[in-house]
Amino acid sequence: MPEKLRPFHIAVLMHLTQSGIVIFTLPRNLAEYFGTNGWLFLVPCIVVSTFNIYLISLVFRLGQGRSVFEIMEQSIPRAVLYPFYGGLAAVWLVFGCMIGKKYVLIFQMLSFPTTNPMVFKLAMDILAFLMITKGIYSISKAATLFFWLSAWMYLLMLWFFPSFRWERLTPFILKGGHDQLKGAMEIYSAFLGYELSILLFPYVNKNKKAMAGVHAGNLYLAVLYISLAIICFGFFSLGQLKKLLYPLLDLLAYIQFPFIERLENLLYGLFLFPVLVTVVMYWWAAQESVRRILPRIKLSLLTFLLIAISYSISFIPKTLDAVGVWITNLGYAVTGIAFGFPVLLLLLLLIQRKGGEVRA
Amino acid sequence: MHRQNYCMARLFLILLLLPPLLLTGCKSDERILEKLGLVQTASYDLAENNRIKVTSCVPVIDPNSSVRRELLSTVSDSIKEAGIMFSRQTDLTVVSGQLRDALFGLKLAKAGLGDYIDTLLRDPSIALGVKVTIINGDAGEILAKEYKPHTDTGRYINHLLEKEAAGNSIPNTTLYEFSRDYNDDGIDPVAPIVRDSGDKAVIDGIALFQEDRYRMKIPAQDGIFFGLFRDDLRQGEVALHLGEEAGRPAVVMFSSLLNSRKVKVHRLGADRFKVELLANIQGSVLEYTGHHSLNKAGIRQQLERDIADVIMAKAKEMVLQMQQHNVDSLGIGIQVRNSLSYKEWNQMNWREVYPQVEIACKAKVTIKDYGKYM
Repeated sequence: MPEKLRPFHIAVLMHLTQSGIVIFTLPRNLAEYFGTNGWLFLVPCIVVSTFNIYLISLVFRLGQGRSVFEIMEQSIPRAVLYPFYGGLAAVWLVFGCMIGKKYVLIFQMLSFPTTNPMVFKLAMDILAFLMITKGIYSISKAATLFFWLSAWMYLLMLWFFPSFRWERLTPFILKGGHDQLKGAMEIYSAFLGYELSILLFPYVNKNKKAMAGVHAGNLYLAVLYISLAIICFGFFSLGQLKKLLYPLLDLLAYIQFPFIERLENLLYGLFLFPVLVTVVMYWWAAQESVRRILPRIKLSLLTFLLIAISYSISFIPKTLDAVGVWITNLGYAVTGIAFGFPVLLLLLLLIQRKGGEVRA
Repeated sequence: MHRQNYCMARLFLILLLLPPLLLTGCKSDERILEKLGLVQTASYDLAENNRIKVTSCVPVIDPNSSVRRELLSTVSDSIKEAGIMFSRQTDLTVVSGQLRDALFGLKLAKAGLGDYIDTLLRDPSIALGVKVTIINGDAGEILAKEYKPHTDTGRYINHLLEKEAAGNSIPNTTLYEFSRDYNDDGIDPVAPIVRDSGDKAVIDGIALFQEDRYRMKIPAQDGIFFGLFRDDLRQGEVALHLGEEAGRPAVVMFSSLLNSRKVKVHRLGADRFKVELLANIQGSVLEYTGHHSLNKAGIRQQLERDIADVIMAKAKEMVLQMQQHNVDSLGIGIQVRNSLSYKEWNQMNWREVYPQVEIACKAKVTIKDYGKYM
């Protein structure tokens, strides 16, 4: 019997998949789009993501833990499904790829301004390749290790307490923002990643705890986001926060020890772990989808091909802004999938159940 | 066995491919410490025709060299352009990743620092912790000067500021604090001022800005009073003159200060406010040259009131000056803003309202102890 993912590992895996590169811009986006006390907008985001995970857990329960591909293939002809799988794979593949590219571009800006970023991207992709070919159990084990390597960093938030002032938060609730709809989508993308849990069904024990793990990962992420955002709103002034492109980098740069200066270069390196897991998970999801179309292909060859395609695509956007636009637009698609996919599956399951009852 | 060979082959391939890839890739960003000019202190002055004089101080690492630092100076149109000119003057690659202090000449501070702070913050290699200091005079000259026995003027000024800021007689202003207050709508930035006094560099006081322009100065000896009403303090000392007793000045040294500041805002009319600043100060008396005995509770209470009176008088005078120059360095706007609705605050022009605000400074002093002598 193959090993099953345990709830704790699911929680860690989902948490790391969700926390990615968006955390660097999140506080500014909150200030920019929602104005004073913009961190409050994270609360509806938590509600929505929790609801979305609830939808996924309904699919899990109604489908009795069957793989989502099996559920679909039972009712829909493959000729219709294959383009759909292709679409899913394309979105997830390129989304993961752009997240990786953004990390690399920021890394390059900080530490190696004139080196070709694609060299770093290649190194990162090789790492991702090695992880994906090992399968989801090894990915989750690596994620747990990465989690312990990077989780302590959140303690660094204590550093900002002496300069933190509640006055700077102002008593005004969400005033002075603009383009809230666009902002909401951009901010919500910080929570994305939990939707991949829908592909984990065949790899988990068929009990309620599995989905509790996804919820736990999401809530832990929410607590971190809210505490980080409150710290940013009380540490920086609102006007200042709106001007900082990467407030988290500035926070990290503010930390100084007598024996070491410019700590952020070191700390930024540690963010490779959550970003790498995010990238790996999206690519793994893409690979799972393509595998349904090409079941006979050797797994490592398929992974290699997908990563090669994504690596070629990552040559296209050259600037941080361009990558940002790609991530925003793909974020819309990924959000659409996050909600649409479980709803579609639920409809299918209801129809199948009704059909089953009729047959009985 | 076959599988093991396969794994080994793959590992070998990666080990073979990766290092040359990474090494050739990073060649252009190679940094060799001996070939770097790590700017630690930089100064900026306003030159003629709105140009800017930039002076950078680079420590010399060579143990055989008799000089400990190299000075680079140029006049250019922007800070970064000056960097390009520097590299024509020296065999080192000038980098700003170790910058600790930015000194701004008074003329430049009067013209406005906003653009220069912007440049410094934009550079990813410059951290928010770089100290911002105003030089009363020419910043380049003071940086170029040698103050014996200090071999590096930049570091000397840095340590001087650090130590004084720890005692709260001057604010600790870094790029973070300056840009935070500059970009906030209810407070104006402040920064310490240093001047040359011949054989020493001395703290001259606190520079108060309106937005990013220098407007007035609080003398060094009054710095602590400013600190008491700007924020909570955990450290500090002050020597207070309580008038004359029997023909000689009565001085009380009030040290190890603990201060908690509170602000109350009362709205008197449409755009009229009364603001009460309350400083609750605790500390030790370690020197008293008056003629009363400190061990009597009544005397101590009287002394507490006298100290509070001196502090309040100083604060009142200071606040009046600030209102005359229209600088809200104590952050009264933040408190007023937080007492209003968003609409009211936005409709009000705080710059116009601020000079008319009634500001009352109150101090409550507690003498915790008076040393180990009757």
